[in-house]
Amino acid sequence: MTEKEIKEKVKQMIIVANTQINKEIKPFIDNYNGPFCNVLYDNYHISSSKGLPLCQDTGMVEFFCFLGIDFPLKRPLQDVLDEAVSEAYTKSPYRYSTVDDPLFERKNRMDNTPAIVHVHLVEGSHLEIMFLIKGGGSENLSRLYMMTPTASKETVVEQIVNHIEEAGARACPPLKVGIGLGGTSEKAMVLSKLALTSPISKHHDDPRYATLEEEIKSRINKLNIGFQGLKDGISCYSVHILTYPTHIATLPLAISVDCYLCRTGSVCFER
Amino acid sequence: MNVEKLKAGDSIHYDGEMIIMRDAAQKRLSQFHDCPLDLKDKLVFYAGPAKTPSDSIIGAIGPTTSARMDKYLEMLFNFGIKATIGKGERSDLVKKLCGKYDGVYFLAPSGGAAALSQSVINHEILLFEELQSEAIQKIIVKDFPLIVAIDSKGHSIWD
Repeated sequence: MTEKEIKEKVKQMIIVANTQINKEIKPFIDNYNGPFCNVLYDNYHISSSKGLPLCQDTGMVEFFCFLGIDFPLKRPLQDVLDEAVSEAYTKSPYRYSTVDDPLFERKNRMDNTPAIVHVHLVEGSHLEIMFLIKGGGSENLSRLYMMTPTASKETVVEQIVNHIEEAGARACPPLKVGIGLGGTSEKAMVLSKLALTSPISKHHDDPRYATLEEEIKSRINKLNIGFQGLKDGISCYSVHILTYPTHIATLPLAISVDCYLCRTGSVCFER
Repeated sequence: MNVEKLKAGDSIHYDGEMIIMRDAAQKRLSQFHDCPLDLKDKLVFYAGPAKTPSDSIIGAIGPTTSARMDKYLEMLFNFGIKATIGKGERSDLVKKLCGKYDGVYFLAPSGGAAALSQSVINHEILLFEELQSEAIQKIIVKDFPLIVAIDSKGHSIWD
């Protein structure tokens, strides 16, 4: 497995995620009968047949890499993944959505790099990569709350539901919700993003958290935000919680959401 | 289009012109005293289209979050626009301004950009080309689906 093969495979998967409807999501769109339902239905057929992106916001690409210590890699993973993004976006009719300087010039970089890359070193000789095509509309809903360590389950649920009630309609619902609980501030944020790579059907291994995922999902669906924020159809596909040990004085709670398209991908390379 | 007759909740299919602009272009416009282009009676579509494929009129196009640009809405009304088009709920200020200027806020389908691109029959760049997808652009659309979210009396579908 060479770096070039990794780049080519990831590039192809980015193109698939941008143009082919997520198989888990398709039935939800097909069963939706509310406002603009025909547009959403036509959209994934047209994107697939014409190679157009499902959404004009083709995002920043966020990668979560689990790199086995025995996996031979001669180049920095960031460089390989940046090349995959750059080639996918310059050769396809996607949007260049990244700007160089965040505050002053905000000049477009014209290749959609950099990728956001998180690397976790693990045992083994494989390289597992998961990614999100993350649009700005859903990204603007990311939140970090440093709760008190004595906060109850109910308080945590309220915080999440209140945030989605206030802002959820802006992120193209129905939403997939990722929750990071514990760790430190940045650890919780990364976990909440990693949680968004979970399939809708996947639940937490710990039944207490699996129940909590269902409870939060049910509470969000009772908000009746609906497809397009127009109060018709479901509001939330699924909630995924990832936890981590934390400090005695802290309880970080991070929330990330993905839009109704859930543009994700994953691949595992063996040595 | 006579937007004053529309009521919150109305669904229409629009034929005609839209002026595309979003965050960066409006920030620039806010530095002008006199508007550098004619916006009288225009519909402003908050959008930034993807790249245009070689054999097409325009690339994937759809609305972005309108609420980010609430602070520029009064400027646009003063420049003469009569409606904005975007996605998502907006602040109470927008209801007040729509009532004051007889303006309308429309929702366009969000996350349907490949399909919406098929409703565009003409596309040109007007101003700030260096902003790339955020440049001010003009499109002509046919059968473009819209829902009136806030009407010219300031009534909203979210009330």
